[in-house]
Amino acid sequence: MAEVHVIGQIMGATGFSESSLLCKWGVHTGPGFVSPWAAWKLLSGVREGQTQVDTPQIGDMAYWSHPIDLHFATKGLQGWPRLHLQVWSQDSFGRCQLAGYGFCHVPSSPGTHQLDCPTWRPLGSWREQLARAFVGGGPQLLHGDAIYSGADRYRLHTTSGGTVHLELSLLLRHFDRYGVEC
Amino acid sequence: MAAAAPSVFLLMVNGQVESAQFPEYDDLYCKYCFVYGQDWAPTAGLEEGISQITSKSQDARRALVWNFPIDVTFKSTNPYGCEIPHGLTPALSFEGPQIVLSVYGPDVFGNDVVRGYGAVHVPLSPGRHKKTIPMFVPESTSKLQKFTSWFMGRRPEYTDPKVVAQGEGREVTRVRSQGFVTLLFNVVTKDMRKLGYDTGPPDTQGVSGPSPPQGLPR
Repeated sequence: MAEVHVIGQIMGATGFSESSLLCKWGVHTGPGFVSPWAAWKLLSGVREGQTQVDTPQIGDMAYWSHPIDLHFATKGLQGWPRLHLQVWSQDSFGRCQLAGYGFCHVPSSPGTHQLDCPTWRPLGSWREQLARAFVGGGPQLLHGDAIYSGADRYRLHTTSGGTVHLELSLLLRHFDRYGVEC
Repeated sequence: MAAAAPSVFLLMVNGQVESAQFPEYDDLYCKYCFVYGQDWAPTAGLEEGISQITSKSQDARRALVWNFPIDVTFKSTNPYGCEIPHGLTPALSFEGPQIVLSVYGPDVFGNDVVRGYGAVHVPLSPGRHKKTIPMFVPESTSKLQKFTSWFMGRRPEYTDPKVVAQGEGREVTRVRSQGFVTLLFNVVTKDMRKLGYDTGPPDTQGVSGPSPPQGLPR
């Protein structure tokens, strides 16, 4: 079995209109289509988490520096891991409001990569947009899998949020044994 | 006649804590320490250190320079204790080592308060790496506590700075990011390739990390 180490950080986010931001992240692996040979196993590391809430003092980038350290074993290339993110903003009362959803694939070549993941959020009707501007809140996805899958996306009308910046280093093991070039 | 395959690999890291950018603070010193999982063991060098106190230069750069050396070697140990999935060779499962930095400086009353915490993984690919990491401090929960801590000189701090290297438990903390520290690493590894690891192309220019916002000297 080949192994993949993903080591890095969710550095932070820019381009959001709100300032106290946090990010909930998770990693989804799995068969792109049902196949008995494609299976990813998480050998060590936590598969999901939530960063701290950061209020930047200088500049407009919120920094989380949230460590990611995952170790996968795999028998196939289908279902390469995807990192999905939800950025929320927290106001002075402690309420959280959705700022954006985004996902990016974990890089597939070894080495260090800088990733910029754009985000989007559901718009809702004009009533909901007005309420969000005054009172806060706003529509959210019921099931998180719409963030990283394209299945029912055509139903959504969204607007864009800011960008999440990540730095991930990939360490691959035994891929050359199976003739995989990356 | 082939030599026995190695079962551990070595990671040698040297470099320095180069400099910092904290627009609002001066007269700072930093402490570093390495945090690593149970599958690593330091075999040589120092795991922690405290730098000198530095002041901002008078020129336009306003730089805070420490130039503080880092020199450590890690050995990855073989974890026979963990459950190994069927079909897998005894794997080296690891939580990569991280360096945790804490920066301290005086407040207006002369007390030593924390100005920032930050952490970054030690790069595992050989070569030269320059990392600029953001530094953050925990925030007080209420305005009254903020005033009291400013007045008494007892700011919110982490009881164990190693908490900064973990992701778990962060979801309940509120922080403020207020500076950057630049680190330089030169990494040499031994036997990683023999054990089947591919770390990617050698990264000789090695500049990474967020660039400081406009207006701050690089």
